Order: sequence, then structure tokens, then C-alpha cells
Amino acid sequence: MLQLHSVTKCYGALTALDSVSLEIARGEFFGLLGPNGAGKSTLMSLVAGLRAPEAGTLTLEGRALTAGDITGRRALGLVPQHIALYQDLTAEQNLRIFGELYGLRGADLRTRIAEALEAVQLTDRRGEPVKRYSGGMQRRLNLVAALLHRPSLLLCDEPTVGVDPQSRNAIFEYLERLNREGLSVIYSTHYMEEATRLCSRIGIIDHGRIHALGTLDELLMRLPFEEEIRFPVTPTTAPLAARLGELGEIATEDSVHRFRPRPDVKLSAFFALTESFGLPPRLFTSQRPTLEGVFLHLTGRKLRE
Amino acid sequence: MHPIFALLRKDLLNFLRNRAGVSLTFAVPFAMIYLFGQIFGVNRKDTGPVGIPFAVVNASSNPAAAKLLEALKGEKSFRVITDTAAPGDARRPLTEADLRLLMQAPGAPFRFALVIPDDVISASEFGLHLKFLSNPRSEIETQTVNGLLQKTIFSHVPELIGESLQARAKGYLGDARLKGFNQRLATTISSTFGGDPAEIESRISAGDFGFGRLTAPTKAAPDPTLRRLDPPDPAPPPAKSSGMADVFSKLVRIDSEQVVGANVKSPAATALVGGWAIQFLLFALTASATGMFRERDAGIFQRLLSAPVTRAHILWSKFLYGVILGLVQLVVLFTASSSFYGIEILPHLGRLALVCIFAAGACTSFGMLIAAIAPNAEAANGLATFCIMLMSCLGGAWFPITLMPVFIQQFSKLTLIYWSMEGFSAVLWAGQSVVQILPILGILAGITASVMAIAVWRFNRGRIFD
Repeated sequence: MLQLHSVTKCYGALTALDSVSLEIARGEFFGLLGPNGAGKSTLMSLVAGLRAPEAGTLTLEGRALTAGDITGRRALGLVPQHIALYQDLTAEQNLRIFGELYGLRGADLRTRIAEALEAVQLTDRRGEPVKRYSGGMQRRLNLVAALLHRPSLLLCDEPTVGVDPQSRNAIFEYLERLNREGLSVIYSTHYMEEATRLCSRIGIIDHGRIHALGTLDELLMRLPFEEEIRFPVTPTTAPLAARLGELGEIATEDSVHRFRPRPDVKLSAFFALTESFGLPPRLFTSQRPTLEGVFLHLTGRKLRE
Repeated sequence: MHPIFALLRKDLLNFLRNRAGVSLTFAVPFAMIYLFGQIFGVNRKDTGPVGIPFAVVNASSNPAAAKLLEALKGEKSFRVITDTAAPGDARRPLTEADLRLLMQAPGAPFRFALVIPDDVISASEFGLHLKFLSNPRSEIETQTVNGLLQKTIFSHVPELIGESLQARAKGYLGDARLKGFNQRLATTISSTFGGDPAEIESRISAGDFGFGRLTAPTKAAPDPTLRRLDPPDPAPPPAKSSGMADVFSKLVRIDSEQVVGANVKSPAATALVGGWAIQFLLFALTASATGMFRERDAGIFQRLLSAPVTRAHILWSKFLYGVILGLVQLVVLFTASSSFYGIEILPHLGRLALVCIFAAGACTSFGMLIAAIAPNAEAANGLATFCIMLMSCLGGAWFPITLMPVFIQQFSKLTLIYWSMEGFSAVLWAGQSVVQILPILGILAGITASVMAIAVWRFNRGRIFD
């Protein structure tokens, strides 16, 4: 559906996107995971036609996407990072304006506005100025404002920033429903929990480059370990930590030792070693690998650094 | 540190980091002080206006009239115009009919004129007889010009008045008795104050009574025939005999005629309303244009530009909104002025609406230029305040530009306030037709187009849509 081929975008001396190639299939829920400044918003803005790339091509359903081509934008819906709504106007007035920009009129527009407000549970407060809404309500309205014209590809640029857990969950459920109904979504976030929950495929982006691309399982497979065992940094655990380098990768951070055993190392061997140092099993916790770990493994830094 | 001092330090740091704010804090007062100083001639040795265009027609063959004309030409406050363009490259002397035509024409080259009639000194009347024509923009301007004219007469040509007295006396007494009267007067003066009686008699006969050594009143005595800009009092108090002022008003009879705007019902308000209206409009439209920063910060431009909307669509919608807002504001302002002060708008409604639309367009383009060149809303507001005050001062919204130094007047015509006020005056004051106001509308349209072109260019190069 959407293809990016060797797309490069620079801001002066800064290369925000460096020869990025990507393909999004119809009906896919694609997550773009990376820290702030990784290039997520730039990629979104190029797809949305807000900026033009220095090099490379973007095509949507076989049609070239260019900054000057406004016709192609009808197939897109953008949920900006900010709450891009007219605060003094009501929800209904906001939706009417954004619907009219896509050529919607009359009964069709009224029906779609009613459906959108119903979907995000704002029907009862449709006549109130947006500035009186809670942050979560504004976020929900911000989302449906991009959907009135029924785009085939929805671009969500960190749409849950500053949202309470309840509203976040409501947004997730709504997006999941839309995706099941066939809407393709590109969802940028720096929360691995969101990417893990929502996305059928994830691209890990940092410093303007896509470092890895695949399903959650495919990405986790890139880690050279299956488990991570954590135990506290104390004088009694120091000898163990010194020995664990023979069995895998050991790192120390925030008063915690993190041990990632080599794939061929069995956990029984690890626990045998702990027993030999007289350390009780309750000192150790085991954790499944996460996207955070994948990101750290691929980029050498944390998602929120 | 005490919380008050910590917070004070914070405010100072914020202020110092706002470079636009810092520069405007100092630039605005400097510019205003300089302009006011120039207008009021603070640094000049001789204060007062310079170079007010003043047309003079000399219809008298009396040599004293030529002397009056020369005296007027020598007065620095006036730039005396005595001729007009003739077919070809030639020029010909102005006539009284020319004065009226030119003063009523759009873009009149002068708004005050003096006719020295054939009977400037008459045997049948006491004092000088002159004719003063005006198209005043404000009372202060008219009084200033009138006062300057009287000052010139009394300072430079006192013998005109003496000559007038002699002519008048000749009519009453006849040649022989007047000669005897002059001789006796000269003898009395000679015996009382000294001097040669023959020389004194010669000077008296020539009209030199020493009026030049009298001091003219500092404030020009209002001529009862001069049409004041304020509505006349229902029952004006009887004129008091006020010494010198009374003497001067009897010595010089000036027939005043307001060539333009004589039928305007509320002259003072009509003259003022255009300038104030356009200032309010500029503030309102600039505030509206700087609202673009809020939309940018809220990400609304991102949303709009990801829809089938271009930057041009956004800018055109802003421009049209500004014009409509400006039009509505002007309509409300003129309607209020009509209700409160009796300004006549109904007879001029169509032409007034035209000027309002063009003025609103020019003001909107100015607001958009400010939004295009300023980095943020705070800087835009500061810059707008500075520019609006400067343009109001230069454009004549605060003082008549004729009172400003000539080199500052050159800048007046570069301001949209000047041309908007010209438009309002042309309609409400002079009652000009659509065809007559077309040049002003054209200039306003030209200002709009050129300022918008710069604004659009800046918007496309700037970061407001990023």
C-alpha cells in the first residue's frame, strides 16, 4: 500500500531520515518505535505531504506522494502529536470544519459526525467548547477528526501523549476495531507497551535509520538470549557476578546485575552456580525479553534516553 | 534567596532572553521621542511648521500687494504656490477659479489659499481686505495657518495697513484736508517725541504708522467669518473688546471660505474618525494575524496541510477573514460615530464601503506581514505596536502632517494610514465620486498587493507552517 524507497530528509546539517526504505501492507498496523528525535515525526510528515524529502520516493497505492499533490492526501488521515483542534469551538463544529476540508457536505457529513462522536463517547458533550474537555476527551476527538473522511491509511503521531490510562485504553480499543475493519495504521510511539499491544509489525528507528523491522516475535528473536535474570548488587553477589561472564552477558545498572545467558546455557547450570555461592533463589528474578531490550541491543541506548 | 527576589530575577532573565522585547522596549520610546521632537521642532531655533503648501493669487495691481506676496514667500512656514501647469511644459499664474478647482480635486496640491483681491486697499473700507480659502483637515491646522498669515501681514507689511488707513481717510477728508491732518500729526509727534517733522509726515503719508513695532497676538484672533470646525454655539457670547486682538481684527478683514466640506454636519468628528478607525483596525487585524502562531503551536497547520489544503488556501482564508473583520469593525465604528456625533454616512454609504474594503485589505496585509516576519507571537505584538504607532504618527492620525517637517512628510505617503485617511476624507469630507477616489483605492490596492507578496514570500520561507 505505502512504499518508501531510500527516503532522505535533512534539516540543515542534521540528517533526520537517512535513506529509509519501508513497505506497509494494506490492513497492517505498523508501529514506528523510537526515542524522541529518532525521526518518527519526520517520517510521518513526509508521508502526510507536509514536507518534501531531499532524496527518495514515496508512493501510496502506486501513486507518487509529493508535497504539492493535495489529491493524494484524501487517502490519508493524520492524528498530530498536538491536540490540533480549535479550542473555542465545539466538538461538532471542529468535526464539521475538518469534514468540509475533505469535501464532505450535508446529510453525509452530519451522519459521519454523529458516528464519530458516538465512537469516542462524546455525543452528550458535542455542543461544548473543546477547551472544557478533559485531556483524554480532547485526545479522542483529535483522533476521530482524522477519520471522518474514511482514509485508507491513518498516521498516528504519538497520539496518546499525556493521556490517562483509561482514555489510552479507549483509544487503543477504537484503533484496534478500525484496524480489524480494514484500516491501515502507522503508529509512532516511544512506548514499547503500546507497540507491543497494538502493532502487527514494528520498525525500530533511531538517528534517522530503521534498525530493525518485523513482527514482535521476529524482533525478539534478534536478541542473543531468551531470558534476563536480575539480582541485586551486594558484597555477597559480587563473586557470582564476576563468574557469570563465562556463561553469558552481564551488565550492572542502578544497583542491579542483569545476566543474559548464552542460548546454550541451561538455567539449571546457572542455579547450580548460585547455590555454590550460597545465594538463596529469592534473590533472583527472571524476565522475558522485551522491545526495550531489543532497542538497547540494537542501538546501545534506552528508548527514553 | 527571598522568593520575591528569586521571582524578580526570573522575570529579568526572561525579559533579557526575549531579544525582540528588549529591542522594542528601547526602540519604541526612542522613535517616538525623535518623531515628537521633530514635529514640535524641539531642536530647531525657530519652532513651528515649515513649508505648508499655500497658494496665493494676486489680483491687485497695488505695489503693496506684491510686497505682501513677497513677504509670504519669505515666510518659512509657507511654501507659496502662485502658478499651475499649462498646456505643454509651460506654467501660468493661478486664478481664483483654479484655486477652487484644485482644492476640490483628489490629491489637492494645497489646502489653503489666499486671494489678494483688486480692492485689497479700498478708499471705502477701513483696513486690508483679503480672501482666505481652505479645505481644512482639523481645527488646529486651520488656526495655525490663519495665525501664520496674520503674523506675516503684521510682521512684514505693516505699511499696508497704514496705507489702508490713509486711503480710507482720503475718502473722508479729501486730499488737502488729509495733507493738513498728516502735517499736524507729524508736528505733534515731533514736538512730543522728537524727530524731523517732514520725515515723519512723509512716513505717515506712506502708511508707516509703526505697526511693525507692535506685537501681534500670540494666538491668532479667530475671525468671525471663518467657519469653525466645531458646530457653532447656539448663542455665542458677544465679542469682548480685547485690546490688541480686537484692533488687529479690525485692521485686517479676511473673508474666509471653506471650499471643501462646508456642508459637513459634524466637521470635527468627521475629520478625526478616519484616523482613529484605521488605528483600531490595524490593532485588531494584527492581533488576528498573530493568532497564526497559536494555530502553529497547536499543530493545526499540520492537520490542515495533511488534508487537501495548501498554504495558499490558508493564507487566502486569513486574508479574507481579515478583510471581513475589518469591514465589520469599520461599519460598527462609523455607525457609532454617526449615532454619537452625527457623522453623515448614509449619503456616502457605497463609496465609504469601498474605501473600508480597500483599507481593511491593506491593514490585513500589514498584519500578515508582521506575522510572517516575526519569530513568535510576543515579538509580533511588539513589532506591530511599534509600527502602528509610527505609522499613526507619520500618517497624520495624531497631528496634521502639514505641521510636520517637510522631510518627515515625505514618509507620510508611504504609510497605509495616510492613504486610508485620504480615502475616508475624500468620501466623508469632500464627497468625492467613485471615479475621483479611484486613485486612492488604487494606491491602497497596490499597498495590499505588494505587502501581501512580501508576506507570502516570507511565509513560504519561514517556519510557521513547519
